[in-house]
Amino acid sequence: MQFRPDANELLADIASLLEDKVIDAVSGPLQHQVRVAANLARIVEREVRLGEAAATAEQARLVPFVGADGDLATMRRRLCDRLLSDAPIDDGELAALYDALQATLRDDLAISKPGYDAWTGA
Amino acid sequence: MSTTEEGLARWLGEHFGEPVTVDGLRESSAGARRRNCLFDAHLGGRTMPLAATIIPTADIQILDPASEGEVRTVAEDGGVPVPHVHGSTLDGSYVGGPFFISDRIEGETIPRRVLRQAAALGHGDQVVGQIGTALARLHAIDPAKAPAALVVPPDNAPVAAALAGLELAIDGLLKPEPAFAYGLRWLREHRPTEPEQLTIIHTDVRNGNIIVGPDGLRAILDWEGSRLGDPMEDVAWPQTRMWRFGEDANILGGLAGVEPYRAGYEGAGGIWDAPRIQWWRALTTLRWGTGLAGQSAAHLDGRFRSIIMAGSGRRVSELAWDALLLMRP
Repeated sequence: MQFRPDANELLADIASLLEDKVIDAVSGPLQHQVRVAANLARIVEREVRLGEAAATAEQARLVPFVGADGDLATMRRRLCDRLLSDAPIDDGELAALYDALQATLRDDLAISKPGYDAWTGA
Repeated sequence: MSTTEEGLARWLGEHFGEPVTVDGLRESSAGARRRNCLFDAHLGGRTMPLAATIIPTADIQILDPASEGEVRTVAEDGGVPVPHVHGSTLDGSYVGGPFFISDRIEGETIPRRVLRQAAALGHGDQVVGQIGTALARLHAIDPAKAPAALVVPPDNAPVAAALAGLELAIDGLLKPEPAFAYGLRWLREHRPTEPEQLTIIHTDVRNGNIIVGPDGLRAILDWEGSRLGDPMEDVAWPQTRMWRFGEDANILGGLAGVEPYRAGYEGAGGIWDAPRIQWWRALTTLRWGTGLAGQSAAHLDGRFRSIIMAGSGRRVSELAWDALLLMRP
């Protein structure tokens, strides 16, 4: 087992270095790239912390719509196939599915863009 | 004069039939696909403030610069605010690529500066009304006047073409994305009829492609995506959340609500079709999501290695969220 700092601690350190020191030391297109890289390090840091719980919750949400067989990737594929087929899905189930997809997107955004889900207007 | 200044001076001299000198050249944006150069031309004792849009020869372009110049002129004749085009060439020998030259119009173009100016002057309602008016005038132009190079959807059916394109893009995603599949199903179920009349559409009117001054909207830029299509697609796109730059409650580019925009569009004779606009908003939002996914694919398979393209893949959830908000059951 690796000693501390652990993965998310290191990713936060890398992001801080990029944000606090490197961005000001470079300019032009490279500065934009460094800003994006720092943001991606923050995203991965949150993914390390939150990703596993998010995946478990997503899998549980999908069971009513596609059954419990297979891993999450298989279940997502099955759901896509079902949605893209011509087979009818009744309004009640579609509404429940909408809520499930929104809940999963909230978890995704908590990793990739915290706060983005605060807006629920059009 | 720099090499670019010399090349522009040579073309302008041939165009106006008198000697021209060029100075003060600066690049207004270092876009990956096109260079926007601002400069002064001096001829016959007067100075003309001009702009050149240069497309590097080897680059992919949606519309060639001569046709883009043509569509701008057609729009200008129809009363749409556009920087007047002086001419264009496909000859790459002047400045290293085809280009067109237009008047240089002063004002704000950077979205956050546009928002700051509107907040300071309180003219956001006016600007979005003017955008609505400009779109209505564009859509009122006889499509027979469209340059021959403008793309026409197969069978004059833009709704079918957009759906087919989106299906292809979703099918090509690196990972199956249930929110996108849900969105495509919704779009199929709520599919509008094909529009009765195709019009010239700009396809990218938004905060970021406009010039704004204290007096309001001065010009609409970036006509390279013009084609024939459903005018409601054009009306939908400026409302996309990403063009609000954080001012989410101001649906129209972060500048104002949708009401003054609608009033501008209808006041200039445009017909506002709310369900159809809603459908195009949902479709174009999802389509932009597949575009971001495509950028990450281009990074991963080595076609275009870039940390920025890599990061695009992690923005897909934002577009999925925005799309679902437009598709409530």
